[in-house]
Formats: sequence, structure tokens, C-alpha cells
Amino acid sequence: MTPARLHRVLAHLRPLLVSLRPVAETAVKALSRNRLQTGLTMIGIAVGVATVLAMMAVGAGAQRSIEQQVRAAGLNQITIKAGNWKPKQAIDGGAAAPHGDAGDSLRLPVDDLMPALPRAGAAWRRDDVVPIAFHPEDDPMEKHDHPLAWQRLGDLEAGLGAAATLSFEDAEAIRRLPGVQYVACGVHANARVHAGDRRWFTRMHGTDLELPNIKRTWTFTSGRFFTRREQDRGAQVLVLGQVAAERLFGEGVDPVGREVTLWNQPFDVVGVIGSASWVVRPAPGDDEFDAVYMPFTTTHRLLNLSKLNDITVTAASSGAVSEVARAITELLRQRHGISAAMPDDFTVSTQATSAIAGGGLAPGVAQVIAGNVRELERVTLDQLATTLERASRTMTWLLGAVAFVSLLVGGIGIMNITLLSVTERTREIGLRMAVGARGRDVMRQFLAEAVAISLAGGAAGIVLGILASAAIAATLGWATVVSFTSVFVAFGVAAAVGVFFGYYPARRAAALDPIVALRRE
Amino acid sequence: MIAVRDLTKHYHVGDHVVRALRGVTLDVAAGEFVTVVGPSGSGKSTFMHILGCLDRPTSGQYLLHGRDVSHLGADDLARVRNETIGFVFQGFNLMARTSALENVELPLLYTRQGALGAAERRSRAMRALAAVGLTDRADHHPSQLSGGQQQRVAIARALINEPALLLADEPTGNLDTETSQEVMKIFAELRATRGLTIVVITHERDIAAWGTRTIDFRDGVVVSDRVNADEPRATVPAEEPV
Repeated sequence: MTPARLHRVLAHLRPLLVSLRPVAETAVKALSRNRLQTGLTMIGIAVGVATVLAMMAVGAGAQRSIEQQVRAAGLNQITIKAGNWKPKQAIDGGAAAPHGDAGDSLRLPVDDLMPALPRAGAAWRRDDVVPIAFHPEDDPMEKHDHPLAWQRLGDLEAGLGAAATLSFEDAEAIRRLPGVQYVACGVHANARVHAGDRRWFTRMHGTDLELPNIKRTWTFTSGRFFTRREQDRGAQVLVLGQVAAERLFGEGVDPVGREVTLWNQPFDVVGVIGSASWVVRPAPGDDEFDAVYMPFTTTHRLLNLSKLNDITVTAASSGAVSEVARAITELLRQRHGISAAMPDDFTVSTQATSAIAGGGLAPGVAQVIAGNVRELERVTLDQLATTLERASRTMTWLLGAVAFVSLLVGGIGIMNITLLSVTERTREIGLRMAVGARGRDVMRQFLAEAVAISLAGGAAGIVLGILASAAIAATLGWATVVSFTSVFVAFGVAAAVGVFFGYYPARRAAALDPIVALRRE
Repeated sequence: MIAVRDLTKHYHVGDHVVRALRGVTLDVAAGEFVTVVGPSGSGKSTFMHILGCLDRPTSGQYLLHGRDVSHLGADDLARVRNETIGFVFQGFNLMARTSALENVELPLLYTRQGALGAAERRSRAMRALAAVGLTDRADHHPSQLSGGQQQRVAIARALINEPALLLADEPTGNLDTETSQEVMKIFAELRATRGLTIVVITHERDIAAWGTRTIDFRDGVVVSDRVNADEPRATVPAEEPV
């Protein structure tokens, strides 16, 4: 709001404030006559308001910490891979066969193979997955003249990650879905990178400039990620994982600004990625830091490709992950023209890779899971988020009940003291009416009195509530957040209680007959 | 100023009806100083309440300044009381723990324009206090004032909106003789200097003698209505006003 506008608004409010001021003064004066009663009544309101505030603080704090921890754990992350090597019924098979994580993707195809490759010892066999579609090239155990993934792109029959079913346009369509936060395209290959006479064979990720937003554990030890401009024109820029950077340039050397060669093409190094998390340490052979990153457009251009291996998506809210994943599935089925009877030609997975076992989860969260969830190994992060949200909701409801009761008690106290005030001052009411006060003037005065008590109690309650929130945070270890909004709401609740419980006595005062009131002793 | 036609007022007390006024017809001209006398239950207080727009008659007409106010709504009556009528009560009806000045300001909270500003209220209240000679007591609370002073504060309060009609219900009932005379003298002066119409209810003959006209009520009707031809002051016991 501009100062000029504020001034205008204040100018409008002025007459109202001027006329309210004597009312407020009278109210305060009246209240100071019954100091003890007023004070006792305020306590009730203060406790109620403090509880409201604490309730909101716990609710908001739990919400925030869930969001934070869940994001850090990648819980809001959704991966869409091209191809679908799983039978449809296995995907829909429920908790026993959750959408696969990276571990599953390596293990399960072997099991799926079993009926096809007769072998002694049926112990290997998994009964719950029956293969219905399988491409021989997708067997990682099979020894054949294995083409690289990038060479297989475009093969419709190819399996997970290799099928040519995901396009940049799919990614753009996903980006427009509600609830989607970040979208990053992915094309992956292995590549030999040269820096002078040093060489390093590593993972190459052709990706999207939004990836650093998704990878929350990343930190740039040097330089930056590539820019929109570089991505749009497929620039030959490379971001090195920390491990790759050390292997190519040696430890302690900043490679930013240097040139490396990949596929006989020169690339400018623009940044180095390290890990900000103590849980995830860069190590040779990992997929994140023993890796190099370039715009997927550059990969497409140099390798003459047009499709994507995968798309990584984050949901704006961790609670909405399943919903967003479902929306993505429907969108892609529709875009790919897949009839209801056919399985997906892509795989949507909503689970962060080995989230609980692999760490990356805040200790507090891990503790909560351990305390609340049996069969820990079966829990998905989606379920975890639900559990946490339910726990905080329980606390919120509990505090809500306490707040309701104490506000009710406080409100009745207000009604009581206002009735007392009306009775004590009946003559005064009569006098005020005799000199021209209308019913509504009298009513306003007693309402103001009730609201004054509740607001004074509310102010004390806000202080108390902030202290209580701090105490809850300190003793129970719950995160609490006291926001301006919650303070306003608490104050509003106090005012509302005053109006609600002051209404009856105020109306009684307003309805008095001036003659009768004047005669009252 | 006041024209009352065949005014009746009935109260329901339990099962039976109390006929407080049984047809009162009279006129009061502007600038008259009317004293109303009569025994308890004669209907004089009821008459006063209707004149003061605190109550409405059961039947009959009450014209104030030519305007029929007998059937106005509660809010309109409040407005008439605020703008046209000043009240003085037997028990002063001052607010305790509130300064004389603030007591006098009270009617200014309920004017047609809403509450007046604090400075405006203060200066008008000071003027009203000056009219009753209490400027130096403005900041005193009622408990720090004598009975006469308290009643003068109440008169100042009645005057603050410059009413045309001043109504007093037993204004001297709680005062000693000397103070009573002082208060009545103030009324007489206000009538002389401002042309106020004044109606005073009393049951004391010497107080009633201050009026230019005395109306006697009995059983809800006027039994005598006479002009005090002689100079009112003459009936006062000889003494010098303070």
C-alpha cells in the first residue's frame, strides 16, 4: 500500500476512530473499577489465546519441518523413465511391489528372466512377478555385443530408460501440470573425458538447468550450472562432479575456465558440484559426483538424438506427490496415445532411492519413523510423510480442543463480568440514555468493554503463546513457527470471543428502559 | 413550546392497571418557569418523564416545538433528549470517579454528528461549568464536591447542548434549604439570561414559589394551574444569596 493510499484510508477511518475513542476510554475506565475480576477474566482469555497460538505454531512448525526433511530426502521427487519392463500387474501390485527404485531396476530383470532361462535351483525365482514383455537387450547379465544406451535410443522396443518414448514436449507438458515444481530432462551415457593428457571414464548426464533446484544436497564448490541461454543453443559447456574434477585436474585445482574434450569435441568447464550433505559423500563410481553434466540439448545435438531417457520432477508439496505422479501418468498415457488395455511405455516412480536405509533423512524424522512405524523396510517415503502429517495433525487437534475449552471458559468469564458491569451501572446507563445515548450507543459501549478485556487478555496470551511455543520447541523437540499471521489470527480470535460473549450483556444494557434504569439503586 | 392534549398513561402492575395520568391538557409557553407540585403518586413524575421524552403516553398528544413527539421511536426520542432537553435529577446522577468536567461532557458523546473531539468537548464543558460558577472545580470528582456543587455540575451537564427545555425532578430534594435556594436561583437566572423554558417538580411549597406558574397534580389530573403573580423572590425567606 502506498503512503498516499494509506493516508486516504486513515482519513476515512478517522471519524470512526475519533468516535470510538471515548467509547474505548469509557470501557477502560469501567474495567479499572473491577480490577480483580477483570484480571481473572483476562487469564482465561490469555490461556485460550496462548493455546491457539501454540497450536498454530506447532502445526506450522510440523508442516515446515516435514516439508523440509521430506524435500531433503527427495520425497517430493518423481522420476519418469522411458520404457516399462515390468508387467502391468506387478506395478499395480500394491505395497509388496512398490514402484521400483534403482536397486530394483538392477535386480528384478534378472528374476524376471528366470522362467525364460532355465537354470538349476529354483531358489532364485520370484513368484510375485511374472514377465509378460521382455526385450533381450535389457538383460544386463546377458553377454552380447551390447550397444550403449545412447546408441539404442530410438528403439521402441527397448527397455527401461532406453525406450524412445519420452520427449522434450512431454517434459514441457508435465511442467504445465498443477502441483509440479521443477522439471528436468535427462539423457544419460557413459563417456570418456579428456583434460590434457588425463582421462577419466565417467557418467555423462545431459540434463536441464533446473536440476540444481531438484538436487538439494548439491553445492557448487566452484563456478555455476549452465544457463538458459547455453541450454537453448546447446552450448558445449560442462559441469563436473567433484570426483570427476579431481580425477581430471587433480585435487585443489579449480577447473572452471579450463577446456576438456568429450566425444572429440571441446567443452568449457563452467562449474564443479560438491555435496553439501554430510550423509552423501562424493565417491568414485557414484552417479552424481563421479559424473559430468551438460545441457541435454548439447547431447541431443552432438549425438543426433531427439528423445529423453528420463524426466525428473519435483512436486511443490510433499503431500501431493502421489497425486502429481498420477496426473503425470495420465498425461503421458494420453500424449502417447496408449489405450486402456495397454501398459505404460514409461515408468513413474515416486520413491527416493534407498531413502531411509541410505540416510539423508534428518535424525528427528528417522526417530519418528522408528517409533511409529513397524516394518520399517516396507515403508515408502510417501507413507512416511502421511504419518508425520497425521502426527502433527493430532497435536494440532489436541491443542485446538484445549484452546476451545479455555476460550469458552474465558468467554463465559467475560459475559459474567460484563453482566456484572451492566448491573452495577444501571443508573449510569439510564443517565446516558437520558442525555441522548441510543440503545446502540449503550450496546457499543459494553461490547467495547468486553472486547477490551478479551484484547488485553489476548495480548497477554500472545506473549504467553510465544513463550509456550518456545517451551514446546525446547522440551518436546517439536519445531514451532510463530508467524505474523498466527499472531493476527490469535488476536482476532480474542476479539471475536469478546464480541460473541459480550453481545448478550450489551444487548441487555441497550434494552433497558431509561426510567427504570434511573430509578435503580 | 409545550402543548399537551388529553395525555394519559397507564401502567400494568401485575394484574391491575395503574392510571398514572388520566387526561392532562396544558400548554407551556417558551420562557416560562413552571413548577409542578403534588403528593406522591399524583402523576407528576410520569408527566415529567413524558415531557422529557423518556416515556411515551398511552394516549393523547405531546407537541414539542409544534412537533408531535408522542409516538417517536426510541432512537428519535434519544435525539430529542440530546438536543432539546436538559435533565436535572434529585440524586444528581453524576458518574463517580469521573471529574466534573467529564461529567459535563457526557451529552457531547451522543450528538447527531457522533462524539465531538476531545478539545471541543473540553472547551464547551468549561463554558457550561462557568455558567454555574464552578470553573475552579472542573477537575474535582463528585465525592470531592458538596451537594450543591454536585447539583450545579449536573445543571452544567444539562445545559451543555444548549437545550430549549430544562426539566428538573426534585432538584433540591437532597439539599439543605440554603443550597436549595442557590440552585433555584441558578434556574431563575438561566431563564432570565437565556430564555430557557424550565419545568421543576417539587413537593416543597417554597421551591414551587420560584416558578412563574405552579401546576398542582392530584390522581393523574391537574387540579390547579395558577400564575404566581407576585414577584417569586418575595416568597423566599429573606436572606442574601451566596
